[in-house]
Amino acid sequence: MPSTDEVPAIRAADLQKMYDSEVALDGLSLTIPAGTVYGFLGPNGAGKTTTMRLLTGLSHPDSGSIRVCGIDIDDRRALASHIGYLPETPPLYEEFSAREQLEYVADLRDISQDVADERIKEYLDRLNLTSDADKRIEAYSTGMKQKTAFIQCILHDPDVLFLDEPTSGLDPRAARTIRESITNFADTGTTVFLSTHILPVVEAVANEVGVLFNGKLVAEGTPAEVQSRATNEGGSLEDAFLAVTSQHETGVTPRDV
Amino acid sequence: MSLHHDVRHGLRIGRAEFVRSFRGYLGNTRRLVGLAIVMLFFGGSLLVGIPAAYFLGRTARSAAAIPFFAPAATALPVALVLLSMFRTLERIGNIEAEELMLLAAHPRAIVIGLITAEIGRLFLWFGFPLGGFIIAFALGVGSPLIVVSGGLIAIPLVCCAAVWGYASGIGVLRLLERLPSMRRFLKASGVLAMIGLVVASQFAGQFLVEADISIQQRLSVFTFDPLVEYIALTFIGTPIAGPISLHAGVVLAAVIVLTPIGLSVSTRQASALWFTETVHSDATTRTPRSRGGFSPPQPFAWSKAGRIAWGILLRGRRHPQELNHLLMAVFFIAPFGTAVVQLSSDAIGPIVAVVGVGLATYFSGAAFGLNPFGDEQSQFPLLLLTETSATTMIRGRLLSGIAIGFPFAVFGPLASVFFGLTVLQAAVTTVIGSAMCLTASMFAVGLGSAYPIYEEREFWGTKTVVPSTLVMMIYVFVVGPGTILGLLATWFAVTGNLVLTPVFSVFFSFYLLLTGGVSYASYRYAIRRYRRYSIE
Repeated sequence: MPSTDEVPAIRAADLQKMYDSEVALDGLSLTIPAGTVYGFLGPNGAGKTTTMRLLTGLSHPDSGSIRVCGIDIDDRRALASHIGYLPETPPLYEEFSAREQLEYVADLRDISQDVADERIKEYLDRLNLTSDADKRIEAYSTGMKQKTAFIQCILHDPDVLFLDEPTSGLDPRAARTIRESITNFADTGTTVFLSTHILPVVEAVANEVGVLFNGKLVAEGTPAEVQSRATNEGGSLEDAFLAVTSQHETGVTPRDV
Repeated sequence: MSLHHDVRHGLRIGRAEFVRSFRGYLGNTRRLVGLAIVMLFFGGSLLVGIPAAYFLGRTARSAAAIPFFAPAATALPVALVLLSMFRTLERIGNIEAEELMLLAAHPRAIVIGLITAEIGRLFLWFGFPLGGFIIAFALGVGSPLIVVSGGLIAIPLVCCAAVWGYASGIGVLRLLERLPSMRRFLKASGVLAMIGLVVASQFAGQFLVEADISIQQRLSVFTFDPLVEYIALTFIGTPIAGPISLHAGVVLAAVIVLTPIGLSVSTRQASALWFTETVHSDATTRTPRSRGGFSPPQPFAWSKAGRIAWGILLRGRRHPQELNHLLMAVFFIAPFGTAVVQLSSDAIGPIVAVVGVGLATYFSGAAFGLNPFGDEQSQFPLLLLTETSATTMIRGRLLSGIAIGFPFAVFGPLASVFFGLTVLQAAVTTVIGSAMCLTASMFAVGLGSAYPIYEEREFWGTKTVVPSTLVMMIYVFVVGPGTILGLLATWFAVTGNLVLTPVFSVFFSFYLLLTGGVSYASYRYAIRRYRRYSIE
């Protein structure tokens, strides 16, 4: 459950982002308390990846402000230890083995060697990668790459974790492992900002949901709230998602949202 | 599926592929500027070439009287087949979105499409200058009809060469798929052959002059008369036309018959390549492993920049295709190769030292510095969010380049001791060369940061990101003369021939200031760009 810390894990105010004449984000504001698993939903092209990049400081908004863990997003140096980011395309060096990749990243993240060794071993074990850890990443399946990239983004024990489609391309077993890891992280107080199309994943792990459509946040609340506002009682999150986005697509005001 | 249907699909694919390429050429302003510079660079030759073609047309009395007409007419189809084969190996042997294309169109249509697009690209790059020469020549002869007849003669020849070149290229790709060890051997022998060719070209001119040989006479051995007579059909209806020979007709018939056969062979080859899953007998050799984790050796392990440098070097060694662009050095070294042979034994020592230091400065910057952002593009979401500072990252890149260049700066002068340089002279050259490695690599990272290239290109079945040619040219034109000037000053100093006149002092101070200042500014610029980098 969200903690009651005064400083929210993520605070974004009135974010605007344009690509040429295309509006990517139109006045997006978010306040996410620490310890929340925030399911970030939206159809293709809604602006989810753009939002992730802005919130991680990898891209700059045209206007608006962002603070993560109370740190201004422009202060990359101060921010680095607080956030972990798993983009949709895993940022891995195919020429390295998973062990080399993780040790390299641990070094870049200033994690002491003892701690790094311990964490790498633990995560490789937990995600069933130990036996393949010395194989070069170029020989990995999509799932193995995704798991390696997941480990590297949590290796420094970040306060806020940004995950872009973390279970895409994974088999059910690997997807469950990642899902359980997300829950475990949330239990230890880590905030997880989870963008995915796989709504059952959000239903399973998120305690707050935001729906982005055409660069605007069109629904926000707990999964139950969003479901009940957008659909009849008993509808799934998928029903709610479809209802919210189609209401905005057709220009009809969504019911109670 | 009918041929008509496949041709229609093929032309659509060809059009789409050509449009994609064209949009790529004109994709952004920086690329347009690069194209403009390339055109200015090579376009100058048109100012001489077009009047020369006109003058040639004015003075030609018969096709046979045109200098080198027969060997050129023989070489043209051979060159076209080789070009098509090379382009197939390099680029059009595979199609993007393969799954989609293979499910949507017949392989024959795809082959037609890829070849059509390639001919279009060829025409786009070379059509205008070639057209300029032909029009100028036709005007010189006084018969513009040559432009039309030349086109009609060229079309069947180009089509035939294109399909057979494609078939050969696909054949080689299939062979490489089946024999991975052959791929490594061909790459190595290809590099050696290119070095040999460039070095040989340096001797060829001198040999021809000194040996007093008639080139026309030598080339006449390689002339194939029926082909020459076919090409000479271009001049039908003009004052320089000869009688129409039966051989020319036979060549035309052969070309027309061979084209569909070539297309059929290409289609079979391409289908076999695209639809066959390569099975390697020894699966374990295909899964490269690394024992021991990430453990940089000394002295790289001393600092984080060193460890980053080791990471870059390790990736370079495991993926050497990323370093293809370094082969450009061959073209710069070759002239020195002839000099080494020609000069007296006294001069060999300094030349060996100069070549060593020249290579050192070249590799220090060019190996990893000329496209730092492009090289790391897909890893930026990771790298930018680590605690490691931009300065450390850039220093790591500097060190990785210097690690390649520095040994040349040491071993070049060291080897020159065996050719007459004193130990002191070699030592001083090494020290100066090492400093030049540092300045060259600092200059390179700034230059590469200013003009990053992100697009991957498939080369011999491997996707690589190489620096912009424009960046390479600027780097070579700045660092090359800078290195030579520095080495000249060093040479005069170590041989005791340096006279410290006020003019020299001013110029040398300016040189030092420029070299150090520009390099440092470039290094700071790279750090600033890295620090402010954002993914858009």
